[in-house]
Parts: sequence; C-alpha cells; structure tokens
Amino acid sequence: MSLAAGPGRGGGGGAQGQLPDEMKVVVEKHVAYIQSLDTRREELEYHLTEHLRISGIYWGLTALHLLGHPDALPRDGVLDFLFSCLHADGGFGAAPGHDPHMLYTVSSVQILAMVDGFDELEKRMKDGKLKVAKYIAGLQQPNGTFAGDEWGETDTRFLYCALNALSLLGFLPSQQADQPPLIDVPAATAYVKACQNFDGGFGTEPGAESHSGQVFTCCGALSITGELDSYLGEEGKDRLGAWLSERQLPSGGLNGRPEKLVDVCYSWWVMSSMAMIGRLHWIDKAKLTAFILQCQDPEEGGFADRPGDMVDVFHTVFGLAGLSLLGHPGLVEVDPA
Amino acid sequence: MASHGIPRVSGTLVDKSEQAKEKERRQIERYKAAEAEVIDRIRVKDYSATTLQATSTLLAQNPEYYTIWNHRRLVLQDAIAKEPTRTQPDDDIDAADLTAARLANQTPAQHQIALLLTEDLAFLLPLLKQYPKCYWIWNHRAWLLATATQHLPTSSAVTLWQGEMGLVTKMLGMDSRNFHGWGYRRTAVAALEGLSGGDVSLVEPEFEYTTKMIRANLSNFSAWHNRGRLIPRLLVERQASSEDRRKLFDAEFELITTALYTDPYDQSLWFYHQYLMSTLDTGNKHSVSILEPCTHGDRVRYLEQEIESIREMLDGAEDCKYIYQALLEYSMRYLEMEVEAGNQKVTTAERKGWLEELRKIDPLREGRWNDLESKMKL
Ligand SMILES: [Zn+2]
Repeated sequence: MSLAAGPGRGGGGGAQGQLPDEMKVVVEKHVAYIQSLDTRREELEYHLTEHLRISGIYWGLTALHLLGHPDALPRDGVLDFLFSCLHADGGFGAAPGHDPHMLYTVSSVQILAMVDGFDELEKRMKDGKLKVAKYIAGLQQPNGTFAGDEWGETDTRFLYCALNALSLLGFLPSQQADQPPLIDVPAATAYVKACQNFDGGFGTEPGAESHSGQVFTCCGALSITGELDSYLGEEGKDRLGAWLSERQLPSGGLNGRPEKLVDVCYSWWVMSSMAMIGRLHWIDKAKLTAFILQCQDPEEGGFADRPGDMVDVFHTVFGLAGLSLLGHPGLVEVDPA
Repeated sequence: MASHGIPRVSGTLVDKSEQAKEKERRQIERYKAAEAEVIDRIRVKDYSATTLQATSTLLAQNPEYYTIWNHRRLVLQDAIAKEPTRTQPDDDIDAADLTAARLANQTPAQHQIALLLTEDLAFLLPLLKQYPKCYWIWNHRAWLLATATQHLPTSSAVTLWQGEMGLVTKMLGMDSRNFHGWGYRRTAVAALEGLSGGDVSLVEPEFEYTTKMIRANLSNFSAWHNRGRLIPRLLVERQASSEDRRKLFDAEFELITTALYTDPYDQSLWFYHQYLMSTLDTGNKHSVSILEPCTHGDRVRYLEQEIESIREMLDGAEDCKYIYQALLEYSMRYLEMEVEAGNQKVTTAERKGWLEELRKIDPLREGRWNDLESKMKL
C-alpha cells in the first residue's frame, strides 16, 4: 500500500459534513488514538509488542497520512527511532537491539518513502540506499522466492515485500538498466505463478490453499513487475475476481478464505486485489463501507477486526485504507498495490 | 498491536485501580528483567544451558519475539557444533545413553544432538497449543527438523518427522482449517518422502486422510484443496489406465454431489466441484488433468451430466445462489463447445431465468452479474 501521488481528496474531514453520524470517520479521535500509542509504556502490552514497533509506526503514519494529518507524528523523532534500528548490513530490526528482518526493513523503507527521508538515510549511512537494497536482494533464494532473514523462512509475503521495497528504493533491475541486476526478477515471478491455484487464487507456496493475504501479495508482486494484466488475462481476472467477490458476507465484511469469519484487515487485502484487477465493482461497496465503519470506536478512536472488538493500529490503518479505496469522503487516496 | 476477536471493554483506557497499576508495573519489571537476562548473555556470547533456559522463560511469555528465537538457535547451534569434537565418551554421557545411541545407530555425538533437539521440540508443544497461529513457533520447529535431518542418521530423522505427522494430525484435529498446520503437513510429507530416497510415497495415506477429514466435516475446504492437489500424483502412482481414471473421476463427482445435497449453501463444496470441472477446461492454466485422454465428447458429456445434476438440486433449494452460479458458469462453457443447436441441453430463456434469480438472491455482487450478462451476450 502506498499513498497515491498527486493531490488527494483533501482530508481533514471537511467533506463529511453531509453524512449521518454513523457514517462519519472520527478523524480527530483516530489521530489522538495513534498519537497516544507511544505514550503507553505503563502497559505490559506495549512491551510485549516491541517486536512490531517499526511496523506499528508505519501503520500509524500511513493512517495519519490517510486522515490528512501527516505531521501528527514528529518527523525527526520517527527518523531517529528508525535509524536506531538500522544494522550495518543494511537490514532493519523491529526496535533497537532486535535482529534485522525483511518485514521491518520493508516497513522502514516505506516510512522513509512516506516522510521523504532517503537523503537522511544517505547522510547517516554511506551508500545507505544501496546497502539496504543489497540486504533485501541477499535474501533471495535460488528458486526465486525470498527468506525473511538469515534463518531462512520463506513466504510469498517476503517476495512481495522485497519487490515493493526495491521499487521504492529505485533498485529494481528495470530501474537500474545500466547496472547488473540485484535480483532475479523472472525467477521471482515464476515462483509467484507457481503459487496460483485452479480457483484463480494464490497460496503461501506452491500447493498451498488460496488465501486472500497471499492473493494480495502475489497480485502486488506481479503488478510491480508489470506482468499482472498480461499474465492473468480477462479469463484469469474473472476467475480470481469471482473467488475474491465471494469473500463478501451478508454483514458486508470480507473474509480471507471460504467459510471463515469476516475481518477488517481482510477487507483491505481482498479489496485492493480486486482494484488491481479491475473488479472492485463486484462487491457491494456501500455495505462494506458500513461494515468497516461499524468496526470504528467512535469514543476513543481506532478500528477493530470486527464490530465491538478491541481496536489496534493494524486494523486502524487497514480500515482507513479500505475506506479510502472505497472513495469515502474526507480521506486521502491510496494506491492498491 | 494486532489483535483478533478480543471484545472491547467500554473505554479501553478505563482508569485502573492503584493496585492494578502496581501489579502491571511489577509484570513489566519482571518481563524487562527476563529480556535483559537473555540479551546480556548473548552479547557476551554466553551460549550455556542457563542462557537457553532464559530464552525459554521469555519465549513462553512472548513467543512473537523473533529475535529471541534467533538467540535460542545460536545457543543450539553452538551446542551442536561442540558435539563432534567430543571423540571419547566423557562423564556427561552415561552408559544408558551410549546403549541408546548404539541401538539408534547414532554416534555418541549424534545421540546428544538428538536429545537436545527432541527436548526443544517438546518445549514447543505447549506453546503451539496455546498459540497455534504464531509463525515463529512453526518456523522454529521447521528449523529444528531441518537441523536434525542435517546432523542425524536418516533413520533418526525419519522417526522425528513421523512424530511431526502425529503432532500435525492432532493439531488439525483441533482446528481443521489451520493454515500453518496444513502447510506443515505438506512439509512433513515431502521430508519423509525425500528421506526415503524416493522409496516411500505417502500419496495414498494422505488421500485417505483428506477423505477422513471431509467425512468429519464437509465444510473443510483445506482438506478438499489438498485432495485435489493429490489426485494427479495418485493416478500416476497407481499407473491408472484411462478406465481407472474415469472411475476415480466419477467417484469424486459422486462424493461431491452427495455432499452438495447435504449442504448446497456451503462454498467449500462448490469450489471442489469447480476444481473437478476445471480439469475439463483447457482455458485454465492451473487446472490439472484427471481423464486421459480427455476428448471433446468427454467434455460435452460431463458438462451435460453436471448441468443436469445441478439443475435437479434446485428442487427444495431454490434460494441457493451457488446453484445458479454453477449452472450459468457451466452452461456458458458448454455452449462454447459447439454442440449442434438442435441438441443443446440448455436454452437461452433458462439462462436468463437463472441470472434473474441470482440477481434477486445475491444483490451484493450485482456488478458481477451485470458483467456476466454482457459476457454471456444474453
Ligand atoms: Zn485482522
């Protein structure tokens, strides 16, 4: 997910004036909720989730951008924290002292892109962008996929993460035509294609059941390499679109696999995949909008996985990104891939 | 930071009593102390049993802390690396262990490694039970098994992997859709087949396993999915004749049709039906083949048979959207098969009627039905 280039639809909630209360995004409360997250050190949960800190900042910052309050977290503070997680090999850990990992390296690159911080990276580390790109590239396996770290767990999530981060850094082979390629793109896309199933969906590895999270990462990967349209074709898009559209349940929410519960985070993965293949009109957007808004905590801010559940920053960003993609007034536009 | 299914208490920032705050402060202190203990020891490369125990304490409280799993592996790697240098059995290894090693065809060093890894596998069991969806636990388990395969005699690795099959069967018994569980099961199967050097195939028992899982709960798409994945290899290994293949194909249709009669509102079943039908579809890049050869006549015949059979399902289930979806999808493919107009088993009026019903029952996907209408050129 990245914020669309160019001016968004405003933000700040001005355009929401006409909506009934239950259809309004409580912008100020979400901003306050996100700002409060780093001040909760007296809660055990804060310490138990330190292994997610950088991703948490990425989710929070993206949410703030969507809400039209990009400066609600201080840029200097974010950058200082980010660089305190950077290792000499170019990888980022989740927090200071945590080992480097693909997931947090990608979150860091996404944060740097969002706050226009690549120059700062170069200042703090000589050839920093190249070093980070090389850390990511170094995790590619002979079969084209990517490991999360030196310990070797592979997953199509990491493959998408790698392509996404390299593209933001400007180090995809297609962006560096005069240089020897850092990664083997054909091997990576061949692996993605091998993860596709008869139902049009994708799994975590060849042979695994289709899952909407993996559909998102695989479509995202093919979209970054520019092959999504030609690879799927209209028939492929119809098949995948049908599988994705069946994720919508009568509540309006979307689930991740057949016969599972709806969840705001799946709403995002399903919906953005549908947008990438031009099939977003195959679900009921009004009902989905209403479902996501029911997951909002109108008192304290934040979104939960389902109505009435505890909010968290992860579901908050996916809820807001979903609403943005659905064209809800008052939010900045988002890019599905 | 990412929670699922935890009810919201009115106002998450409710004022806690001083007593509760104090309790939480102490919990945080204990947690930070346990964390510092591991980190300080690893910083000075103390890879002792005490450090291993310190990681256990911390991971039992927070199995999502991936860096600590990495630290744990450093300790284990160090212990493993030291074993082969121990040429003479020393005081650490008692006579019973030596006998056990000999019986298992292991060197004393291998026996110690096996004990170490087995102990770690046992440490993970209660954690997996408590956090069955935690990536890092499954990840560590896979690492232990890969390490065992690398260092131990094949027979010992096979024994360990067989234990994993037992474990994953138990896990899937508790949550039959667990994504990690099914993935790990495929890994275990591949490992056992690989370790046998190609002598052992688990395709038949795995196929049986999906039958068992489906019988227990029809709605288990994970099992249906795995079944569909196994069939092509099953047929090759059975050296199935074209007649055998047709028999299996027919048996699968019978199985799924019975299931559909039990619950036509279950998506999982319709996806398996789609899977069977996809094997007749030359336009699907990811379909497998069951019938061999599969002639034009076969395709027409099976499409007619299934359209007819699904049409009958409508009786008593007129409000079931999946039936209309299937009828429309399969009839579209059927009409592309260039069946002579006079012999066609589906009429345009009928297709229009199905689409109308579908629009009524399933307004959520109205946009899709509009596109389908133009695609069918009705
Ligand atoms: Zn979720």
